[in-house]
Amino acid sequence: MLYYVFTLVFFCFDYFILAMGLNIQYGETGILNFAYIGFVAIGAYFTGVFSLHPAGHSGQHYILGLGLPFPFNLLLGGLAAMVFALIVALITLRRLRTDYLAIVLISLSLVLYDFCNNFVSLFNGADGLYNVPEPFAKSLGLTVNSFIPFFACVTAVISLLMWFVMSRITRAPLGRTLRAIRDDEVVAAALGKNVFGMRLKSMLIGSFYAGVGGGLLIQFGGSFNPTAWLPGETFVVFAVLIVGGAGNNIGMFVGALLVETLLIHLPAFLPEIPGHPGLIEYFDNAVVGIVLMLMLWFRPEGVVPARLRRTASFGAAARGDAEPDLTIAVAAHE
Amino acid sequence: MSESGVLERTHATGRIAALRCEAVTKAFQGVHAVNGATFDVPKGQITALIGPNGAGKTTVVNILSGAMNCDSGRQFIGDTDVTNWPSHKIARLGLFRTFQLSRELYGLTVLENLLVAPADQAGDSLVNVLLRPGLIRRQERAHAEHALEVLDTYGLYGHRDTRARELSGGQKKLLEIARAVMASPKILLLDEPMAGVNPALIELIGGHIVDLKQSGVTVLMVEHNLNVVEQICDYVIVLAEGRTLATGRLSELRENTDVVKAYLGEVIDAGAAH
Repeated sequence: MLYYVFTLVFFCFDYFILAMGLNIQYGETGILNFAYIGFVAIGAYFTGVFSLHPAGHSGQHYILGLGLPFPFNLLLGGLAAMVFALIVALITLRRLRTDYLAIVLISLSLVLYDFCNNFVSLFNGADGLYNVPEPFAKSLGLTVNSFIPFFACVTAVISLLMWFVMSRITRAPLGRTLRAIRDDEVVAAALGKNVFGMRLKSMLIGSFYAGVGGGLLIQFGGSFNPTAWLPGETFVVFAVLIVGGAGNNIGMFVGALLVETLLIHLPAFLPEIPGHPGLIEYFDNAVVGIVLMLMLWFRPEGVVPARLRRTASFGAAARGDAEPDLTIAVAAHE
Repeated sequence: MSESGVLERTHATGRIAALRCEAVTKAFQGVHAVNGATFDVPKGQITALIGPNGAGKTTVVNILSGAMNCDSGRQFIGDTDVTNWPSHKIARLGLFRTFQLSRELYGLTVLENLLVAPADQAGDSLVNVLLRPGLIRRQERAHAEHALEVLDTYGLYGHRDTRARELSGGQKKLLEIARAVMASPKILLLDEPMAGVNPALIELIGGHIVDLKQSGVTVLMVEHNLNVVEQICDYVIVLAEGRTLATGRLSELRENTDVVKAYLGEVIDAGAAH
């Protein structure tokens, strides 16, 4: 029972991280990153190969195999996703916007999937990675059953740290500039903002979150299988973001709880429908799709809508609440 | 009149040019929107850019502000050649603009719209966000206080916490100007600041533009309302078919048959019809 509960806890906090990364890209900056799961996969793969020892005769094929301890492997996994984002951004972010960017990125996601799946000498093909060391499992003497609660808690702590950093970013002038670019990048540029530089920043920060989220996933499960990173998975993160409320970091947690935990993972623990084994799991994506449509129809701002930043929060001295000068002007005109 | 003649006359006024266009051209799929526009915008004055519809006024503003590249010709801010620089670099030299159709940052509050504007914000850097929160907080407070003052001046103080998309058309016009003012401009390009606003608001906006001039800002404004031009503008540049037709004071231009034929004639005729 504990095992199940903490598995759900893990997925909730992990998707909280993933959704925060997508939120800064899409919710704050308006970059429609339909290749998001690709960055998560890159983070997962590199966290894996940074923590595995050299391949040798293990029968697996992978690069590096540095055998780095936690959390260095995780950090480097995040950085690897950032490096990949830099390359992608330099090619796509300069000229492409909205739908066109989305089309290119979803294609990239498909290419990446086929590439990993078929490039055996680099990514071990469809077998992916396995036997990825579980952090602290040996040193703390954790069993399979005690590792899961332990690692769920580690993930929760990491996600709260990352939430703290992200809320600082989104509350800062940096976040405001990103939102200005989302609303109208011509205006932002006319006000002296380097739009490409800012979009790049947003892309890199978001990809770091994607990479770390992916790194935690591979260490939780101990394996990396390309079929778990199908391009469609991106839309699960989008569902978390839209249900939670784009532009609100707390909303990302609520979204992760509602979509990832309750809709995707909880049904897996439900008793089977007699005579139809596995049927419930097949309904997952359909249910997520229906929820997404209902949300966009009835509550597009999400369960926890983005909050307005009011004057008081800037610490400026209040002025007397003057009526708009317009009335005076009208009087003068008459 | 030859274009070099125009330049000589502007130089003859003995004023320093804050902004200069030299033989700028821009074509859209064969249509020559701007076709050799050449003019100076004198420093510290209000200059009107007038001309019939389709004369290329907005295209000139777009080119001068970096929103569009020109096909040929050169543009200067002071002595700096800024031909085809990107918008954000031109803005960093102190040139800011407003748009013909208001482009508010709709998801931000009115106050936040202004707070985006100040140059060199420490809080735009990720390193500062993570390591120097105190610096950012101090800067934000100072900017917010300044922004509230500007909002007070422009009659938008009561709307400071409203999402910009909820403002009325006239309020959005004011927000456009207030946002550009918040950026501490040296040169301000106003693209039809009075279009579609009521007479009371025209007077109010006109007053603000004169105040800006008095605080040392150079203003170039696209304007159709000749009463406004007469009241507040020191110089006038007339564009027609993408070329500079004439420059000078409005009273001088009324004597110029080319100008009257190309532009003022319409207005005079329209006036006579009433």
